[in-house]
Amino acid sequence: MNMPRRRISPVHAVAEVPSFASVVERHLDDVHGYLVYLTRDRGIAEDLTAETFEKALRLWRRFDPRRGSARTWLCQLARTTALDHFRAEERRRRREGVYARDEYVDPEEGLFGGLSPELERALAALSVGEREVIALRVLLDLDGETAARVLGISVTACSTRLSRALKKLEERMSADVAA
Amino acid sequence: MSQPEYEAIVNEIRSARIPASPELRARVRALEAAVPPAPPRRELPWRRLSLVLVPACVDVGVAAPLTVGPAPSGKKGSAVAEGGAFTAARPTETLAPAFQAQSDSARAHKSAGKSGAGLPTTPGRAQIYEAQLTLKVNDLSTTTKRALRLTGSFGGYVRSVEYGSGRERGTAYLVLRVPIGSVQEAIVRFSGLGTILDQHVSIQDVQQQLDKRFRQMQSLRDTIAKLQAQLENPNLSSTDRAKLVAELVAARRQLDVLKVAQTRQQRQVSYATVSLDLRTQAKAAVVPHEAGRIGRALHRSGSILLDELKVVLYVLIVGAPLLALAALGMGAARISRRRVEARLLSGR
Repeated sequence: MNMPRRRISPVHAVAEVPSFASVVERHLDDVHGYLVYLTRDRGIAEDLTAETFEKALRLWRRFDPRRGSARTWLCQLARTTALDHFRAEERRRRREGVYARDEYVDPEEGLFGGLSPELERALAALSVGEREVIALRVLLDLDGETAARVLGISVTACSTRLSRALKKLEERMSADVAA
Repeated sequence: MSQPEYEAIVNEIRSARIPASPELRARVRALEAAVPPAPPRRELPWRRLSLVLVPACVDVGVAAPLTVGPAPSGKKGSAVAEGGAFTAARPTETLAPAFQAQSDSARAHKSAGKSGAGLPTTPGRAQIYEAQLTLKVNDLSTTTKRALRLTGSFGGYVRSVEYGSGRERGTAYLVLRVPIGSVQEAIVRFSGLGTILDQHVSIQDVQQQLDKRFRQMQSLRDTIAKLQAQLENPNLSSTDRAKLVAELVAARRQLDVLKVAQTRQQRQVSYATVSLDLRTQAKAAVVPHEAGRIGRALHRSGSILLDELKVVLYVLIVGAPLLALAALGMGAARISRRRVEARLLSGR
């Protein structure tokens, strides 16, 4: 007599942990792009990307796919790495007595992946926080909830930040075109 | 900006690709070989543990008093041992403080454990032993006679008897003198005459007084002997002789006084005074309310629960400010971290 097979509910299903190598292949570009948006410097972004993946490799056993995707986890690590870098830079500047942080420097050409020059300049003129939300929500196409979790803010705050950033981007582009 | 224009920007950003350079890719790929993976860390599942531990702690907290409560306590047992046959009467705190200071407690407990036994005297020590027993009896006349007979059988005597018998109530008050060696047994026997309502035992050690008086007497005897020797000298003048005779008379008189006192006290300590208060009605029987087993268990469980509550309250009172401080510290650290982050992210 054939007994009806019980379906295993998703709750009881064990989430598969991907291999680190496959995660590198799949998400290296994403993390790198995110860090380029944050740092506005390809060289620094590359260093921070390598540092992020090194950190990820060390912490790989702690990664729990049930809590979130590997990409979200990597973005969180990348953000922490970038913030550490910014803190270190700030300390260095303070120590050296240089206060030229807000001074605008033209980004290298094609930094953001071959966008129009107006958009590149407008993006570069945004604050790190504004570029960050654009990177997460637009470039990486994360949903509002995931992006908010990476940023450590509420979903509403994330949406507000995004629309302000886009508006500012548009305004700067319009001003650039007008000029 | 209109929605389509927003979409144009969004689409442009989405369509752009920022690929990692081959060098970066190679660098990251090489990481797996270069960086040893962290050893597995055994993380405690705190949520699951708390789901088990918190109810377990509460269960233990509630079950412990309920389990300990019905168990016979050592305190109760010792009360019975101390009280012995006096469970319905006043317990051992009625003992005179003088006794408690002077007698050997272990022996006292041992003998007190026996039904109605008095408290033992210390062998080799002169002690004034006084005991008072209040007994509820059924037949006052017969019991009084039996008490008198018992006293005689122990070699004692009756110092006084007050006997009064009425229609509703009768009392007899006997002051008996019992040889000190038989007093414990006598008290046991007297206790058997009725139900003990009250007992008071007083023991006063007078050995030191006796010894001191004995030394004084010896000294006086020596003085008398010396005076007598001096008086045998034929060359003594009449004045000196008269003086010596006066001293001799005074010493003898003093010795006589001491002898009387010594004899009286020795006689006093050789007999114990036992006062028997016999009553036909338990007028003074203040029997403390003894709760039943369940009542005692509930009372004990309640008191343990109350103690636990006190401990929890104490921990809360002491720990709450610390927890509040810790929470404030964590909150402040978080706000500070957010501000630093906001400042860092506000730049370009």
